Amino acid sequence: MHISPHTKMSDLVQSDFELLAVLQRLKIPFGFKEKSIQTICREEGIDLNFFLNLARWYHERDFFPGETLMNHPVKWLVKYLRSTHSCYIEYHIPRIEEEIIRMESLDRSGGHNMQLMLKFFREYISEFTTHIQLEEEKIFPYILSLEENFEKETPDPEFLKTARGYTIKDFLDEHSDIEEKLVDLRNILLKYLAPPSDNCLFTNVLIEIFRLGNDLNDHTILEENVLIPQVIKLERDFHNKFPR
Amino acid sequence: MAKVLIAETSYLVRKGLVSLLEQTDGVTELKAAGHPDTIVQTLKEFSPDIILLNSAIQMPVTHDKLLSLLHDKARFIYIINTPLPEDSPANHISVFDTKNKLTEKLSHHLRQYESAEEKEETEELTPREKLILKHVALGYTNKEIATKLFISTHTVISHRKNITRKLDIKTVSGLTVYSLINGIIKMEDIQ
Ligand SMILES: [Fe+2]
Ligand SMILES: [Fe+2]
Repeated sequence: MHISPHTKMSDLVQSDFELLAVLQRLKIPFGFKEKSIQTICREEGIDLNFFLNLARWYHERDFFPGETLMNHPVKWLVKYLRSTHSCYIEYHIPRIEEEIIRMESLDRSGGHNMQLMLKFFREYISEFTTHIQLEEEKIFPYILSLEENFEKETPDPEFLKTARGYTIKDFLDEHSDIEEKLVDLRNILLKYLAPPSDNCLFTNVLIEIFRLGNDLNDHTILEENVLIPQVIKLERDFHNKFPR
Repeated sequence: MAKVLIAETSYLVRKGLVSLLEQTDGVTELKAAGHPDTIVQTLKEFSPDIILLNSAIQMPVTHDKLLSLLHDKARFIYIINTPLPEDSPANHISVFDTKNKLTEKLSHHLRQYESAEEKEETEELTPREKLILKHVALGYTNKEIATKLFISTHTVISHRKNITRKLDIKTVSGLTVYSLINGIIKMEDIQ
């Protein structure tokens, strides 16, 4: 389906329900009635092109709208990434954890395999949390101040000092691979463990881990291939506008 | 059986190759990317066995870096935007090639992959690899393992690459869990 401004929002979701994740992260409320994408974006204060670019990418999976997404204010993308983070932390991760706990309680094999999986996943949660904390507490605030100060006549002196001693490139270098461990978990479950008694549960955990993995993949692409290049450009403009 | 990545900027060529490969035997998973950044990203995540790369694409990283992202047995096939001469290498395909020509060339590569892969399927970790895995799971670094087993760090790294490829597990904690499940190490060993 071709996604156009006049496409009805409900048709969009019916043709590809995975797009619900995008709507949720943009905090678009339900109750679409017969409204078009254009109308809803206007009502919710979301830039139409920003929405279309994201939705088309998620839906068509063919072209990557890197350059187009970079033309929007960086704060929109940050907002989007932030609400993705809370989705992971508040929902997906705890849910998978609970399911592994349930699997462990159903495991009658007498071994410790499910216990091991739980331990492994909890290790992952702590790594994951550290990763997201760094972005939420340091990286995103820096990016937002950068954009904010760039638009000012004279930047905040405190921030100017920070900006002159830091570049987002440092962050890119150490931006850790957040999917690796999850892929390992998935492969171990898939290839090396016999499912405990409740098969439905086991399958569902796997499905959710696959979903989360794909979602994280998209998230990393947005961070590394849109957000960071955009910030690098912004830094350059900032230093040109406020030379030493 | 091979995982294939198509790295091609041209929409038409990319779609054409996707539809051709979907009908070809021996492809287990197929991904396509058009933007150089997405290509690098997909290479990392997907770890393909065969990469169809358009030779005209300006990659954001060097060829060496690209190779380091791949496993040992992965191979490149280059997509060339001009007709090929008679004596062109086997890993060149052209956008001017006929369907038969393309199928023939691609199948040739896929077949080679398949026979290598089939051997491996019956091939479990070698005793040597198991020994290395045990040390990795116990938390030793590559250097420590090299010293302990009187081999070079390079050898350790190459064993580890093979272990990861055979087991499909990348991280140390993942390898540790695998070793525990399979009795290569015991719980008491790591406590
Ligand atoms: Fe993030
Ligand atoms: Fe991240």
